[in-house]
Amino acid sequence: MKRKTIKKLLLVLVLTTLTIALSACSGDKEGENSDSSSITIGIPQDVEDSLDPHKAVAAGTEEVFFNIYEGLVKPDSDGNLVPAVASDYAISEDGMTYTFTLRDGIKFHDGNLVTVDDIKYSLDRCADTSNGDPLVSAFSNIDSVNVIDEKTVEVVLKEADTEFLFYLTNAIIPASNEDPAKNAIGTGPYRFVSHAPQESFVMKKFDGYWGTPAHIDNVTLKVCANVDSIAMDLNGGAIDMFARVPTEQAAQLSDNFEVQEGTMNLVQALYLNNSVEPFTDPKVRQALCYALDKQNIMDIVADGKGTPVGSSMFPAFGKYYMEELNDVYTTDYEKAKELLTEAGYPDGFSFTMTVPSNYTQHVNTAQVLVEQFKNIGVDAQINLVEWDAWLSDVYTDRNYEATVVGVDASSMTGRAMLERFTSTAPNNFVNYSNPTYDETFAKAIAATDDAEKTKYYKECERILAEDAANVYIQDLSCLVAVNKKYAGYEFYPLYVQDFSKLYLVEEKQ
Amino acid sequence: MKYAVQKIVSFVMTLCLVSFLVFAAFAVIPGDPALSKLGTDATPSQLAALREEMGLNRPLLVRFADWAVSFVQGDMGTSYSYDRPVSGMILDKLPITLTLAVMAFLLTIMIAVPLGIYAARHEGGKVDYLIYCINQVTMAVPPFFLGILMTFFFGLVLKWFTPGGYVSYQTDVPGFVRYLFFPALAIALPKAAMALKLLRSSVIHETRQDYARTAYSRGNNTNQVLYRHILKNALIPVVTFLGMALADMIAGSIIIEQVFSIPGLGRILMTSISGRDYPVVQAIIVWIAVLVLVVNLIVDLVYRIIDPRIRME
Amino acid sequence: MKKKKNWNLIIGSLMTGCMILFMLLGLFYTPYDPEAMDASSKLAGISSAHLMGCDNFGRDILSRVLKGSGTTLFVAAGTVAIGTLVGIFIGALTGYYGGILDEVLMRIIDALFAFPSILLALVFISLIGPGKYNVIVALGIAFIPSFSRIVRSQFLYQKNMDYVSSAKLQGASAFRIMFVHILPNTLPVLSSSIMIGFNNAVLAEAGMSYLGIGVQPPDASLGRMLSEAQSYLVTAPGFALFPGLIIILMVLGFSLLAEGISHAGD
Repeated sequence: MKRKTIKKLLLVLVLTTLTIALSACSGDKEGENSDSSSITIGIPQDVEDSLDPHKAVAAGTEEVFFNIYEGLVKPDSDGNLVPAVASDYAISEDGMTYTFTLRDGIKFHDGNLVTVDDIKYSLDRCADTSNGDPLVSAFSNIDSVNVIDEKTVEVVLKEADTEFLFYLTNAIIPASNEDPAKNAIGTGPYRFVSHAPQESFVMKKFDGYWGTPAHIDNVTLKVCANVDSIAMDLNGGAIDMFARVPTEQAAQLSDNFEVQEGTMNLVQALYLNNSVEPFTDPKVRQALCYALDKQNIMDIVADGKGTPVGSSMFPAFGKYYMEELNDVYTTDYEKAKELLTEAGYPDGFSFTMTVPSNYTQHVNTAQVLVEQFKNIGVDAQINLVEWDAWLSDVYTDRNYEATVVGVDASSMTGRAMLERFTSTAPNNFVNYSNPTYDETFAKAIAATDDAEKTKYYKECERILAEDAANVYIQDLSCLVAVNKKYAGYEFYPLYVQDFSKLYLVEEKQ
Repeated sequence: MKYAVQKIVSFVMTLCLVSFLVFAAFAVIPGDPALSKLGTDATPSQLAALREEMGLNRPLLVRFADWAVSFVQGDMGTSYSYDRPVSGMILDKLPITLTLAVMAFLLTIMIAVPLGIYAARHEGGKVDYLIYCINQVTMAVPPFFLGILMTFFFGLVLKWFTPGGYVSYQTDVPGFVRYLFFPALAIALPKAAMALKLLRSSVIHETRQDYARTAYSRGNNTNQVLYRHILKNALIPVVTFLGMALADMIAGSIIIEQVFSIPGLGRILMTSISGRDYPVVQAIIVWIAVLVLVVNLIVDLVYRIIDPRIRME
Repeated sequence: MKKKKNWNLIIGSLMTGCMILFMLLGLFYTPYDPEAMDASSKLAGISSAHLMGCDNFGRDILSRVLKGSGTTLFVAAGTVAIGTLVGIFIGALTGYYGGILDEVLMRIIDALFAFPSILLALVFISLIGPGKYNVIVALGIAFIPSFSRIVRSQFLYQKNMDYVSSAKLQGASAFRIMFVHILPNTLPVLSSSIMIGFNNAVLAEAGMSYLGIGVQPPDASLGRMLSEAQSYLVTAPGFALFPGLIIILMVLGFSLLAEGISHAGD
């Protein structure tokens, strides 16, 4: 009896193995659904937080929300603002009053028409200070939001600000939505369908969109946490597109993919804590700049791709960007050692770079920096930390010596890049303090004339470069891999992914 | 009965101990969940308000007691980063990791038992020798590396599966099982190698025992003796090992899930650890502890069934 | 069952010997600076200048493997040292004395033992942060339960032996009995579990480095190199091959050696 049982058991086990093995081999592809077009796009981190656009802060979340929500105005692929929920706007000459006309017939995803009250509700919600600070800190400058008639809304500021329009890209949501964290209702070309944490985020084309409708019906964002195997995911067909593919992964892609090169639109630098010895001495900071070989970093980390930068401004800004600041320092070890000697460190010194471990490109850059600083006798150590520990230790508590990260712009204003280096700015995580800089920046903000504003902003950039506030490196190259079945990917000068421009190639031909 | 009570008491004590250690550990490390939720643009007052809302300002023991009581009631708290109940998130992911571990477990048995018996019966033969060599090498390969090699070979070269093309069990169960086959194999192989080795030496050991020799001398044929007497005793150490191996497989799936992009408990655990999403981390660790301890309990019971010596005690 | 050559012992010691020589060589000599980068030889293939090719920073893989096997052995040795020393201490006390101390300590040890060691190490690492020394501490702690149990069972068995009673009669202190009389007699069993522990440590280090919480750059360890090489599996297979091969040889050597020793003890 026993013997039979055991034998039977073995037989069952063997058969099960065979069945599983066979079913595993017969994994034929499911036929594609021809009725509706769809695309699966890989994202490196999950869309976190709630669905409330006003509370989302992670860049990875905001770039997805760009497709669901719209503000009164929105950026186009050149970084210029174009009307969105508002069909038209006017700015008073003194830069104090902004007047918006509501777009005719524009609808929310739930089918209701957008009203001026929704606009007032959304702006007031972000400017509300009853919980302490407003949700959007720039909105503290709003004096009042007034509904003029059922088509017109007026925003009155406390102080003149000609760049204020850039903050009005902030999402307009329906006042009737009681729980924006759970119900995503916007006016964008795609509407939210479902979200499975660490798995997928699904969106569907919004048929009632006011503007050029999206081409692809279903967009599925798939979380691909392991960026080191992204080429396998793409080649294998698990995803059709991935933005920000590492160079070495791009090199492994099959012919089915087109790799487009753009820039990440950020300033990667060795950010120094300016209030920590020896970085309090500009000579030490300059010495590190002279020890830097930007080309070597780009060669090693990204096969030569990337754009060197010399100050806190990246090329996509156009009129504010100063290419000539790249040449303030050229690699010169003798000069660097001289400066170190003058500063009292003839034998070099040692310091620690605290680097967020989830950003491979920054970790790799830090490794090259360690080697480069060896040339001038400076001994750098790397301390890899989790992103959250980085946020609290480095960014908030400013308890660090140096760090390698990229700083991007939340809007296409000079202010977005340069304000953080004024001595009292709450986000001045490098503790940079320079009265001349503060003064120049204040003049730039006060200026209402564009040329004058640009002049002062540029002056700020020059101070940062010459005073070596940080060791500026580059604007990283950004490789986007798209399956050749699709086309239409557009780069934005901001941290944005516009899925509505993508289309199936067969569809167009 | 006394035995069962004793088991349950130690089960509960172990759970409390482990969950408190985890709870305390995550309360003292740097990294502020309120800050990581708000990101770089958070203002101090926003932070303070959120900390208050999340209950982070209360003493550790109070927070632990609170948490433990509601855990037993089925409320595992709300995820900081997803704003949804932890229990739901875990229930969503549990089937994935559990299926993976169970498949790996079955594969381990299916590989180890027949081959182990075969090798033992042909001790010293060429096949035995070959199995021995393959076995030794398999045990020496880091499991994640095995996974990477499998992805490369079966996924990219032979195209037997789509790397990264995980199929949700909610939409397509056969596809889901199919995708988990290779990950399960990557987890199973090193364990199977160990189990095989253990079974082989255990069968050989039993074959040389007096009772087996007596059975042979009575004129029973090899198969009868093997299945009626030897295997029964030889399986005892293997069952112990497999019990521990199943626990290891649940933990090992953390790494393999990463290799094969499977959004299971391991993935959630890794992101929650780095996101300081305490409620999720605690719940997952406690869940894994429950699973492991339940497995241990089962092993103890099976032990009593197959080993008469223990039953007599 | 007659005298058969103990091939496991011979091959195992040969392989382990070679790996230790290899590591020792790495301490004194590497063909290049293992950290020197060179953009022009990025991912270069095998050549007479670079016997194992170069990695993604243009660093010589042979030099890094030489240095990295040292780090890996160091991590494994440190882990096993913590695990064994604390394990011996706890195991000896609980096994020898028994009673309430045994009851309490073993309850905790059992609780921890029920936990897969990688998970335990994961919790510790998230507590103390990643890095070479932290990995040693985390894995070392994770290894304590299993060593304690082995030592305890040996002490339970040995403490009733005649030689212990006679030592007691001669008035030897408990400390002396535990560590001078009993401990050496547990060595045959202990030494093979140390070997196996060594292997587990090498594999665990690799796994943790893969998850990004192990040895940190620019330090080279075999596990770290293997996980770095994952991105280049298609374009530069050699990058993954050599560190992988060295790990396999190392673990294989140790497990053969462990088996050889336990056979020799039979």
